[in-house]
Amino acid sequence: MWNELAYAFDLVATWQNALAIGAGIWAGVIIGAIPGMTGTMAVTLALPFTFYLSPVTSLLLLVALYKGSTYGGSISAILIKTPGTASAACTVLDGYPLAKNGKGGKALNMALASSCIGDFISNMSLFFLAIPLAAFALQIGPPEYFMLMTFSLVIVASISGPSLVLGVVSACLGLLLATVGEDIYGSYRFAMSENMEGGLGVVPVLIGLFALPELIKMIVFRQPENTQAMKLGDNRLSFEEFRGSIKSIVRGSFIGVFMGAIPGVGPSTAAFFSYSEARRTSKNGDNFGKGELEGIAASESANNGCCGATMIPLLALGVPGDVITGVMLGAFMIHGLTPGPLLFQNNIGDVYALFMGMLFSSALLFVAGRLTAGGFAKISKIPREVLLPCVLALCLFGIFSIATNPFDITVLLIMGLVGFVMMVLGIPAAPFLIAFIIGPMFEDNMRRSLAISRGELSIFFDSWISLGFLAMTIFFTILTIRRELLKRKARKRIQTN
Amino acid sequence: MRINRDLSSGILALSFFALVFFVLIPLYVPVPSFIPGFAPPPDMWPKTTAVLGMAMGVLALALAIAKSKKPALEQAPDADVEDLVVTKPHMLRLAVLVVSFLAFIYGMPFIGFVPASILLLGVLFAMTGTYRHKWLMVALSVIFPLALYFIFSQFIHTLFPMGSLFS
Repeated sequence: MWNELAYAFDLVATWQNALAIGAGIWAGVIIGAIPGMTGTMAVTLALPFTFYLSPVTSLLLLVALYKGSTYGGSISAILIKTPGTASAACTVLDGYPLAKNGKGGKALNMALASSCIGDFISNMSLFFLAIPLAAFALQIGPPEYFMLMTFSLVIVASISGPSLVLGVVSACLGLLLATVGEDIYGSYRFAMSENMEGGLGVVPVLIGLFALPELIKMIVFRQPENTQAMKLGDNRLSFEEFRGSIKSIVRGSFIGVFMGAIPGVGPSTAAFFSYSEARRTSKNGDNFGKGELEGIAASESANNGCCGATMIPLLALGVPGDVITGVMLGAFMIHGLTPGPLLFQNNIGDVYALFMGMLFSSALLFVAGRLTAGGFAKISKIPREVLLPCVLALCLFGIFSIATNPFDITVLLIMGLVGFVMMVLGIPAAPFLIAFIIGPMFEDNMRRSLAISRGELSIFFDSWISLGFLAMTIFFTILTIRRELLKRKARKRIQTN
Repeated sequence: MRINRDLSSGILALSFFALVFFVLIPLYVPVPSFIPGFAPPPDMWPKTTAVLGMAMGVLALALAIAKSKKPALEQAPDADVEDLVVTKPHMLRLAVLVVSFLAFIYGMPFIGFVPASILLLGVLFAMTGTYRHKWLMVALSVIFPLALYFIFSQFIHTLFPMGSLFS
């Protein structure tokens, strides 16, 4: 193990990696601070650039972007009452009242400290949990993988939007699109033109689906922005104030780790859960929502606490838990690496290097945040009508540079329109993306299983692991249907009152 | 025009997956005459997905119809989902946007990648409908694609199409 750690240290301790992490953190914070730009957009926009980097450097860049954008979301939440990312929605509740009282700098410092602690705890949990989980995953074969992927798709479909049915529709679209091109036995499917024989590129589909719909929405609906930025004001966070929130920070971090490790749950749910727990147990509970630093600590530690933990199912099982890890799975595949238990056998050096780089990025996030809070605060004022068309230009150049194939541009623009239509119809995009990325593996495992069992479907219910995943799939489906029914009842009750 | 979102989603999903199942799979997924062992044929997975998609489309449609029979108050959209009401001007803007995308795709081989990007960016800025920063927008629509061209061609050595009109 020590040899591998030394090798990983050599691999990660390069100026290219330090630069990638630094650039990723800064760019992530900037993008996260701009309302309407999300961490998913940050990670997908960076994907074309990873083609020119080594596997470890490109993954560290994406991870740093993810972490930076998660923290960056709190800047606009605190200063202009607009969460840069969905996971910073709870931060608005206490951050903006503090900024209005001239304590914006204090709120930002609390957000930064709790984000970094949450992030560090999350990275450590990844280090300690991913390896045993990967060892367990070695025992599972194609049928179990098929059931695991079914489980994760159902979870993502049920949590991503208001309706399980529309979530499954979205996943089916993604699975279908993933079949375009040559299959594992050499048959061409839906190859309507020569360009489609190799399948649709992961990057144009991802960027089209996640970066373009916001621009199209802004152009079509022309929604006005009525935001007024607050000044930073009182900047100093005292040790007493920090100590008063430490319990909520640690609890929030572990909530983030737990929620992040479950496929499909993600940072928004973790932040809400941590915030409500902190409000319930804190002696200042009555002050929550009126400008309580502990509220910011609870929310920010939980959403950053998810960052490392979402990588646990990705690295150990090869199953992405959310959209960002879905994009990262794409990056792994671009570099010829397959996440899952075999990654820990064949590329353990790369895995350790990734862990080390992630720990380093937690420290760098703190430094970057401390040094440049004032500068980042100005970024949240950049008008969207100037920014979003430039994002499209960046996408066009970035996508074209990957394969110099104009067909990729066509795919990008079409997927942007598809993403917009889905947005208007309320169909969530996350299940589409996850299904598109894991689609080939999903089908491959299904076909392998049926080939092993000579066409017998019972192979999917033979082992206790498969049955366990099936039970969890049924359980979560029932839970989602129950949630939808309860929500409908509650709405009916409110409207009749 | 207010789109009944649940109904539209159901109709769209059902018709799309039906089109895939009944038209696209028979046309574009050739099945070899001999398949070794018990390996499932190449059309099995797309068919399974399309059938599941159709079933979900029918379910979405049934739920939307059931919802439409309830009193108007109970048909309000979920509070946690953005309710985007589509009107005629919205449709018109979307149509113009689609035309600009098509013009970019088909015009780029003639006028070149960079000029086409400059034009598209200009059109997009104009279509935002906010002209508080119009001079910045005019400058950016020219400078930004040129800057990107410089970065990508110098550092990544990407060869962008110059356009048949200029070469």
